[in-house]
Amino acid sequence: MTPRTMPRLAPRSVLLIVLGVLLVALVVGMEQLAPLFRAWFPDQNPAMYERESFLNLTLAHVALVLVSSLISVGVGVGAGLFVTRPAGREFAPLVSTLAAIGQTFPPAAVLAIVVPLAGFGFVPTLVALILYGLLPVVQNTVAGLGTVPPQTLEAARGNGMSAWQILWHIELPLAMRVIVAGVRVSVIINIGTATIGSTVGATTLGTPIIAGLVGNNLPYVIQGALLVGLLAIVTDLAFERLERRFSFGASGATP
Amino acid sequence: MTSPAVSTVGAGRVLANRVLVTLLIAGLAAAWLLPFASMSPNRLASGQSVALGGALTMWQAAGMLVLTVMLGLAALQRPLSRRLAHGVTLTASLALLLITLYALGDYAQRTLVERSPSARVSQGAAFWVIVFCCALAAIDTLQRHASGWITRLGYAALAGGAVAFLLASGHFRDLSIMREYANIRDTFSDQLLTHLGLVGAALGPALAIGVPLGLLAHRRARVRGTLFSVLNVFQTIPSIALFALLVAPLSALGNAFPFLAELGIKGIGAAPAIIALVMYALLPVVRNTYSGLKGVPPATVEAARGMGMTQRQVLWRVEIPLALPVMLSGLRIVTVQAIGLTVVAALIGAGGLGAFIFQGLGQYAIDLVLLGAIPTIVLAVIADFMLQMLVALSQPAGTR
Amino acid sequence: MIELQGLTKRYGDTRVVDDISLTVEQGEFCVLIGPSGCGKSTTLKMINRLIAHSEGRILVGGEDVTTLPPELLRRRIGYAIQSTGLFPHWRVAENIATVPRLLKWSTSRINARVDELLALFQLDADDLRDKYPHQLSGGQAQRVGVARALAADPDVLLMDEPFGAVDPLTRDALQVELARVHRQTGKTIVFVTHDMDEALRLASRVALLNGGRLVQYDRPAELLVDPANDFVRDFIGRADLGLKLLSRRRVEQYYQPAQGTRDATITQAATTHARPTWQVDADNRPLALIGGRLEEPATVRTDVNGEWTATPDMSMKEALSRMVWFRVTALPVLDDQGRLLGEVTMAGVMGHRP
Repeated sequence: MTPRTMPRLAPRSVLLIVLGVLLVALVVGMEQLAPLFRAWFPDQNPAMYERESFLNLTLAHVALVLVSSLISVGVGVGAGLFVTRPAGREFAPLVSTLAAIGQTFPPAAVLAIVVPLAGFGFVPTLVALILYGLLPVVQNTVAGLGTVPPQTLEAARGNGMSAWQILWHIELPLAMRVIVAGVRVSVIINIGTATIGSTVGATTLGTPIIAGLVGNNLPYVIQGALLVGLLAIVTDLAFERLERRFSFGASGATP
Repeated sequence: MTSPAVSTVGAGRVLANRVLVTLLIAGLAAAWLLPFASMSPNRLASGQSVALGGALTMWQAAGMLVLTVMLGLAALQRPLSRRLAHGVTLTASLALLLITLYALGDYAQRTLVERSPSARVSQGAAFWVIVFCCALAAIDTLQRHASGWITRLGYAALAGGAVAFLLASGHFRDLSIMREYANIRDTFSDQLLTHLGLVGAALGPALAIGVPLGLLAHRRARVRGTLFSVLNVFQTIPSIALFALLVAPLSALGNAFPFLAELGIKGIGAAPAIIALVMYALLPVVRNTYSGLKGVPPATVEAARGMGMTQRQVLWRVEIPLALPVMLSGLRIVTVQAIGLTVVAALIGAGGLGAFIFQGLGQYAIDLVLLGAIPTIVLAVIADFMLQMLVALSQPAGTR
Repeated sequence: MIELQGLTKRYGDTRVVDDISLTVEQGEFCVLIGPSGCGKSTTLKMINRLIAHSEGRILVGGEDVTTLPPELLRRRIGYAIQSTGLFPHWRVAENIATVPRLLKWSTSRINARVDELLALFQLDADDLRDKYPHQLSGGQAQRVGVARALAADPDVLLMDEPFGAVDPLTRDALQVELARVHRQTGKTIVFVTHDMDEALRLASRVALLNGGRLVQYDRPAELLVDPANDFVRDFIGRADLGLKLLSRRRVEQYYQPAQGTRDATITQAATTHARPTWQVDADNRPLALIGGRLEEPATVRTDVNGEWTATPDMSMKEALSRMVWFRVTALPVLDDQGRLLGEVTMAGVMGHRP
């Protein structure tokens, strides 16, 4: 924390707080808006998704993304570290290519392909999310570690740091910004893919959307889409803040 | 300065290629532990696993064994020279891939004759793993060899051509997935064209809007921050939510003005899909246009101005040619992304290959799901590969 | 203090460092120099085992460097490279404290040491302690880099082209400062550069390398007056050889007793042009030079001006430069109270050959 930003909040932080509060309010109190939806869609009955509370849907969605992202980050950072150490360097080109080609696969198609292997429900969605979420994390871990200047590493070695100390005190902190950017991409994609996961039987915020699309019930669609859109935007803004924390006084944010 | 190249020529080393060894072990383990195919008496009954050994003829088994041994030798420090090992790996992995494909189709044909015509043979997990490992071995070898574009393109064309030939020859006709394909053959090509049409219809407007916006971001620093924030919000919203959110206003429009509904502007269908795809495509187009223009050296622009070019001439003759590779990689990103997002568009009735996926998921017809998913992936990978080549070709001579 | 015995580094069949033996005494400032690719950096990095040597032995303080784990060895040897070697995510104070923290010093001891080092390099502690490296000027960053290398008070300091990336003015200032720090601390320094002027300016001994071999290892003056072969002569540069030599000499090696007089009325030098006469005041401070100007009569009187005087620690190159500039054949040599110690003369510059 640099002292100069302490006194007033940046406009983006205000946005984050406002949207965050809005998200929580909608998750908890969507039912209060029932009269509004009834007035807006007088022909629709019911005009409010009631098969499951929005709180439960949101928690299930968040849990799915959280669990898959934690695993993705653990495995992805681990793989990124492995291919940048002397022992694993031989695997680096293959892993990078795999991450690049894998990301051209449509997330929805990956989700669909997992079904024959893992069945319907929570598990295939989780597996697809983990697999897909791995790729940006691996890619950015490798890229981030690659941005550490060779002179810095030489200086660290020359000052008597062990390989472990260099990794922990020099390489990881310097690569952290890029790694966090990768996690951000991964989590945002996963929030979206988890939504589609409701088509393979996972309970998420996509459930009311799909129910609405199938049953031609527009209010359901709007309620689900609003929450999941807001969830994604708030998460993205929070990650933007987190990224900035690892800039070490250097200027600006990435576009 | 201990480069890895130095350490690998160390006299004591036995393995020259640990990646290949890893892939071999993974492939062998899969062949040993996982089912190569599954066989069920009819479409509805659940399948029963068939191991690799049970599915091969003697000749096929012998061929696969020889190729595996060749790959094993290629991974060793001796006896093959480095160059020879590369050649052997490329040849053997492609041959192994083709034998695996051939063996699966052949097994399906034989089974059908032996059992009943209603029997269904599907590919199993070991099949996928072996195919995957072969492809990875080839990719890794091409990278190790630092092969040029021509070699890669040639090899990809050879592999693709061989697979396409097997498909076209009807060798796989008795495989469950190809039977499913035969049922939907007519709708398949329609949906494929719809898919490509949606992608094309989204890319046009995205470029027409995005490139000028990128130019604007380059010229006006004040606009840039807001523009990128807004476009980033579009990218952040989950695809299905964006598609769905567009349904409401468009159906309202269609209800209010019936002539618009006649034109296709209504709640579901192609209109919301294309609008959403354009919104998604804007950020990569604008960002890459901007960073491409930003990457043009200021000295070059100054020199062009100094020689009396107008601003328009500077833009068309200097800035855009130099920014083109970066702009085209933006096109690559949005094309691949649009191919993937169009899958989701099927949920709002826009059609495309996604229709098979969601239809298949609804009926628990796995073959139908794969008929949607695999072509989408192939489409995305081909588009990525081709646009990557276009990017490479667009590098102005001298900066390559 | 540092002994290299038959030191060799092979990559495959190429010997990038080939059988180098030399000894750097305690407190010596040894500069490794040579054309690019001559193996000077490799030699330096073998001393703290950043690069493993293939053959030979390296002794630091009488101990073979291979007897210690490399990390422990490196914590006992200071290491400074170009300013890019600072850790960009650590503030100045943390950067300087790198090795003390690895050695687990107490916080108070570390803080005291950081302040001491900032003061040694005349850096403003209040201003700089909490800055990140990219907020520093090139000169400041480089000083911090050297300060970091000295932090744990190592006996030996290795420096790999530390001033390679700074502008010439800053480099001059850094060289003066490093020379001062060397005098104050008495560290043994091994310093790699490709800049001969830098080497002549700083070194007490120069090791000239070419193609991995040690060509000559000598005091700078010997290198200049007695080059081992044509390569050395070419590398030093045949131009300005005399001036380079004089830049290594100091006035105190040259000055002779002067003839002073308090006679205010004196109009003519007692002897010839070669031995002018100085008019001094009661405290023996020179007021004017009588004679001592070429092609002028011996009676000409020149008032002594603060700018055309010399001090014992001034380089002879500077003294000569002043004589030429002020068109005199002699400069008064003054002690720190401004009293006349002696004189350096044109004739003296020519005649002296130690």
